[in-house]
Amino acid sequence: MTPAISVAGVTRRYRGQLALDQVTLDLEPGSITGLLGRNGAGKTTFLRIVAGHEFASAGTVAVLGASPAGNQAVLRRMIFIREGQAYPDFRVRQVVRAASWFYPNWSHELAGALLDEFGLPLDRKVGNLSRGMRSAVGIVIGLAARAEVTLFDEPYAGLDAVSRQLFYDRLLADYAGHPRTVLLSTHLIDEAAGLFERVVVLHRGRVVLNTAADDLRGAATSVSGPAIAVAEFTAGRPVWDSRRIASQESAVVAAALDETDRARAAALHLHLEPLTLQQLVVRAAGTAAASPPEQTTAQRTSA
Amino acid sequence: MSTWIRVARYQLTGRATYAGLWVGPALIFLLNLALAVTGVGARQGAGSFLIIISFNSLVTGALSITRQLPFALALGVSRRSFYAGTALLAGAIAAVYGLGVTVLELIERATGGWGLNLHYFRVPHLLAGPWFLSWLTSFAGLALLLAWGMWFGIIYRRWNLRGLLAFIAAQALALLAVVVIIRWVHGWHGAGHFFTTLTTGGLIGLLAALAVAMLAGGYATIRRVTV
Amino acid sequence: MAGLDEGAPLFVQIAGRLADEIADGGLAEGGQVPSTNELAAYYRINPATAAKGIAMLADDGLVEKRRGIGMFVAAGARARLLAERRKRFAERYVEPLVAEASRLGIGADELVALIREGSAGL
Repeated sequence: MTPAISVAGVTRRYRGQLALDQVTLDLEPGSITGLLGRNGAGKTTFLRIVAGHEFASAGTVAVLGASPAGNQAVLRRMIFIREGQAYPDFRVRQVVRAASWFYPNWSHELAGALLDEFGLPLDRKVGNLSRGMRSAVGIVIGLAARAEVTLFDEPYAGLDAVSRQLFYDRLLADYAGHPRTVLLSTHLIDEAAGLFERVVVLHRGRVVLNTAADDLRGAATSVSGPAIAVAEFTAGRPVWDSRRIASQESAVVAAALDETDRARAAALHLHLEPLTLQQLVVRAAGTAAASPPEQTTAQRTSA
Repeated sequence: MSTWIRVARYQLTGRATYAGLWVGPALIFLLNLALAVTGVGARQGAGSFLIIISFNSLVTGALSITRQLPFALALGVSRRSFYAGTALLAGAIAAVYGLGVTVLELIERATGGWGLNLHYFRVPHLLAGPWFLSWLTSFAGLALLLAWGMWFGIIYRRWNLRGLLAFIAAQALALLAVVVIIRWVHGWHGAGHFFTTLTTGGLIGLLAALAVAMLAGGYATIRRVTV
Repeated sequence: MAGLDEGAPLFVQIAGRLADEIADGGLAEGGQVPSTNELAAYYRINPATAAKGIAMLADDGLVEKRRGIGMFVAAGARARLLAERRKRFAERYVEPLVAEASRLGIGADELVALIREGSAGL
């Protein structure tokens, strides 16, 4: 199957800095992928290049099999919603209506329902909306367009937690009924964790992790309790971190734990807490920072 | 092709941008009318109308780009389609608007200056003569100004204020270079001759050629613009 | 994600929840299993993940597909799950129990007496 998004060796140099460095990855159609990483990791640059808004210094980009740059046939199947989007001097109603003209899959019903749910005033100028409401406008458009390739770049700036959850819920619901390829960049990882089938982590312009989200879950667990018990439990397993206070210790075990392990831990009065996706991602980025890219063992590419 | 039409529709949603083309001149006209009625003095000449319409056209052209481009790109419109759609709309507006100005000028002439000897729309040499040529002249002139304004807008979007200033400076320098060259080859006489013997048809051709040049320049600049 | 945690792949947890429901009798044999989309909406997860969870149960023969209608609990699923749990009972419950008892100095006889007491109420 042709990947929905396929990039090879994409590099972007900007004012002497490498915003993206030899990024290579493929995203299968019909999936939701999380694009994660610290601020300045290159997430926005990557999305802009995929959307044809920016041009790579080197490497190839293909969306739905063809290069997006200046390619109207491909571009019309893609939508890019980002934070701080500059809108024309239109009212909310006009912005939404204009967007509907450009997308053949547009759903007026969904747009109407979302405008309602986010409580957006149709007759106010977008420029006069609060930051959160402006983000909501972007989300409404991004979802209602039902574009085959939907790119979101931290689209929730200024949105409160309730509205963000509404976004995730509506995204999932509409995605279930109308599958598409979604690439969502966020630094609020745990909130959105359930959405992702795949996660791609960027660090300093490089891909440090590209794996199925479920492959990450349970990859590491923090074990805490009496130091002796912790030592006994973690014997023979890879340990990432460890902290001590008096006779208590907390260590992170880099291994999947099964029922037997859990039972054993309970017997030893140890408290187990799996590392969240966010913690794992932070660690992946941190590991990449600590060691030179060629030696990064955290870099895993799963087919 | 249909994308171009969608772009035109999108542009027209921003009515304020294009309204500027007629609101300003209309107000000045009414002002002149009021002055004439109150007998302050009939105004001859076309200075105010020409200046106002030129300025407004440049601004409209620029605004059609600066305000509208970022969102259009977000909606999957290619730079080329956006430019084509916007330019097409500009052309249509120039044609329609030019027709309107021609009609008003005809009425003005027929009524002897609106019965008050007020000649607002008349531009000697440029808008005199058969209505058809008059229309084409305003069409070409407006198209040129709009295209030029669009180019300004694109330059601003691509290289910001600095770029805009550099662009203006570059054009001033180019003009200066032309003057210097003419002086150098002692071609003042020839240049003057060219302009005084320029027929209306020739003028239309010149304006149209310049408009095409502006469009080409804008197109070349928009290819790599980022928002 | 209603009650799902980060400790294991989500699809495994989904399968586990459904299996629990079948074993507890909440989902009767021959009864319809919630659809992929329903599960996704409830747990607030990606439908593909929910689908994977159901697929896992299908692979184990605990649910079966009825074309055009949906997924249904297979005959004998409950019995099989309970049998499986019986096998692991010793590992999951007895061993920790014995270990803790030994730590507290509770001998085997005392332990048996306690168990008898506890099951008296059942």
